[in-house]
Amino acid sequence: MKQHLGRQSGVQSVEVSLNDGKVDVTPKEDGRIDPGQLFKAVYESGVSVAEMDVLARGKVVKDGSGGFALDVTPNQSFGIEANDVSKELEALAGQSTVIIVRGQLYKKPAGKKRQKPDISAPMKLLILEVQKRE
Amino acid sequence: MSQKGGMMNAKKFALLALLGCALGPVSQAQIKHIEMRVEGMT
Repeated sequence: MKQHLGRQSGVQSVEVSLNDGKVDVTPKEDGRIDPGQLFKAVYESGVSVAEMDVLARGKVVKDGSGGFALDVTPNQSFGIEANDVSKELEALAGQSTVIIVRGQLYKKPAGKKRQKPDISAPMKLLILEVQKRE
Repeated sequence: MSQKGGMMNAKKFALLALLGCALGPVSQAQIKHIEMRVEGMT
């Protein structure tokens, strides 16, 4: 799995901890990495993702459906799931403020067996913590 | 003649500074780290 993930586009390094089932992926300098592609690569390795967390830096924007999204690169953004933390960030939409957030892109529903990832569906970001505002 | 050249350089520099301010925050936006918890690993 480590080798397979390491071959994915935008991946600089992969650390796998067998004891606690943790996989740490460090993206290359430009940060252009596709979490959906990593999700698929993990599945192809014969295991499944129970949870995927991300540390991302970007700007809050309004998306087309009236919700909010985090723009992490000029052509990559994640819809933001509404929660108490995201409500505080809504005022930043359209502003030049750059934020660094820790969030959850995926959590396996309880009781579900191994599922084939659907990478055509956009991943939504549940913001857990705002680490910095710039 | 040299004064005109100096003026052009100042204009170019101002334009570059303006572009840098506008594009800087976006180009710095990125995914910094991804952590996964996986199941079924032996």
